[in-house]
Amino acid sequence: MRSLFDRMLLEPFNRLAEQSTHVVPILIMVLVTLLVGGFLAYCVRWLTYRLLQLARFDHLVQRTGFAGMIERTGVFRSPADLGARFVQALMWLFVVLFALSAADTPASVELVRRFVDYIPNLIAAGLVLLLGVVVSRMISRSALLAAVNAQWPAARLIAGGVRVLVMTLAIVIALEQLHIGSLPLLVAFAIVFAGIVFALAIAFGLGARDMARQWLEAKVRSSVAEEEVFRHL
Amino acid sequence: MDDLFPTELKARLAQIGEADIVVGIPSYNNARTIGHVVRAVSVGLAKYFPAQRSVIVNSDGGSKDKTQEVVMHAEGGADDLLLVSHPVHTSYRISTPYHGIPGKGSAFRTIFAVARQLNARACVVVDSDLRSITPGWIELLARPVLEHGYDYIAPYYHRHKYDGTITNGIIYPMTRTLYGKSVRQPIGGEFGFSGTLAARYLEKDVWDTDVARFGIDIWMTVTAIAEGFRVGQAYLGAKIHDAKDPGADLTSMFRQVIGSFFSLMGSYENVWKQVQSHDTVPLFGFPFEVGVEPLTVNTDRMIHAAQQGVSDLREIYSSFLSAQTLVDLTNYVHRNGKGFHIPDQLWVRMIYQAAIAYHYRVLDREHLLQSLVPLYLGRTASFVLEVTDSTATQVEERIEGLCQVFENEKPYLTEYWDAAGKEKVHAQSV
Repeated sequence: MRSLFDRMLLEPFNRLAEQSTHVVPILIMVLVTLLVGGFLAYCVRWLTYRLLQLARFDHLVQRTGFAGMIERTGVFRSPADLGARFVQALMWLFVVLFALSAADTPASVELVRRFVDYIPNLIAAGLVLLLGVVVSRMISRSALLAAVNAQWPAARLIAGGVRVLVMTLAIVIALEQLHIGSLPLLVAFAIVFAGIVFALAIAFGLGARDMARQWLEAKVRSSVAEEEVFRHL
Repeated sequence: MDDLFPTELKARLAQIGEADIVVGIPSYNNARTIGHVVRAVSVGLAKYFPAQRSVIVNSDGGSKDKTQEVVMHAEGGADDLLLVSHPVHTSYRISTPYHGIPGKGSAFRTIFAVARQLNARACVVVDSDLRSITPGWIELLARPVLEHGYDYIAPYYHRHKYDGTITNGIIYPMTRTLYGKSVRQPIGGEFGFSGTLAARYLEKDVWDTDVARFGIDIWMTVTAIAEGFRVGQAYLGAKIHDAKDPGADLTSMFRQVIGSFFSLMGSYENVWKQVQSHDTVPLFGFPFEVGVEPLTVNTDRMIHAAQQGVSDLREIYSSFLSAQTLVDLTNYVHRNGKGFHIPDQLWVRMIYQAAIAYHYRVLDREHLLQSLVPLYLGRTASFVLEVTDSTATQVEERIEGLCQVFENEKPYLTEYWDAAGKEKVHAQSV
């Protein structure tokens, strides 16, 4: 009877207690790491925010036109807030990795190793996206100015289209870097884009043929007429 | 500098040796008109400077319509009917392709280099598409340099009241306000200058910028004034061009001229900040009334361009115009028809704010300059509507009024220029 009691209750309990002596300190250490790391991340965020404010970061970003975009998201109060939260997120990432390393279990070690191996891809994808944002902004602004100076009525639409096109390309390349299937996105975009162009071509060619001819004739006639008689210099 | 000269040109210049006057004619596909210009120059040199050694240099941008052949074979005309005395020296003629960025400025650079190589005392440049040039122009542009000690002679023309709106609306008032010299046609296209000044131009490292294109005229004028060279003007009558002007796209032209001017504001900041008033610039020649060709202007199209610009480019404008300026602009620009108006003060402030933004690179400079085109068209339409029934004299008075607004607002420019500078220094130091 005693033997049955030992086998059914005491032995499993002893085994659990024995395992717990290994696991609990690790869990405590992970928990403490996360708590201290979280606090440190918060402090770093606060410090970064103050430093960015001192450096008039908001004012600088205001000039680039990104500030409006950041504020429109409704998530961040200001560019300095975005910067501070970004640094906090990075800090959190390192704290989690540190905690996982501290756990020193085969699964956590493998997870950390795979993540570390993945970091170059993350950096590359981030850089591609950043470059995409900058380039798409530059190109779309150039397109907008060219279209406005040519007095095309749909100037903003053209600029928006150019921006979407460049950003889509950047996202597809970034996804490739992350080894995430980008083909469906590319195909979907190509189908939609081709569809829009095709629809516009049909609409313009069939529906507005006369209008297109008249518009082009008027455009050529008026620009030639003005160039011939009017000198700016 | 020798890199600027092809082998044949080097040999030709060595053969010529020295010259007193070099007349430069930049060209690109101007076969139709350049013959007349070369003839006028040849006769002008023979008639007014018979004792001087002269060279006509055609600096060509790779014309495909036999421009260079026309230059070399253009006859001087019926010399016996035109000349009282025959020239002592032969007038040489050279036609050469220029090196560098395609544009008027690169063509001028080769002409400056030829003038320096030949040790010329005076140099004259004239456009190759002129229909109104006469032999007298050469005398008016060269004699003040050769005999009166002037270094730079700008042209003075009678033009139609709607003509030359970049000159009338921006370049003339700003040149006068900033550099203190009332040069009425700072970007006229025809100039006379001394060999010393030509050599000074060549020392500058600007030939990869817009100065190599349409920016050359304003760059020459401002450099001459700002560096203290003696400046005059020559009355040339009317200026009539050939209708065709290759590459005369408004946006590019505007960008190159205004960009060069704004850039010069940075180079000569210490000069223009000291200037408090303006001096009248001596005028050579005998002013006379001339008829000018009638012009028609499509103001509706310009107004539409301005309205679309203000609507579509608001984000760009808000990055360099003050909030009040943008509000005022929006209010004024959306009035239609004859009610459309952009007041002088608003226009001047927009230009000054753009100049400051250009200097401190508040946004991409190309974008900034391109975004000014709709505003310029709006201002031009406003001006045209305002002077529709005015005489030439009244229009000159109107331009004088604009100049005074530019001058009155100069403290605003200086104050905000300095404030923007301090702000930038502060942002970089923390």
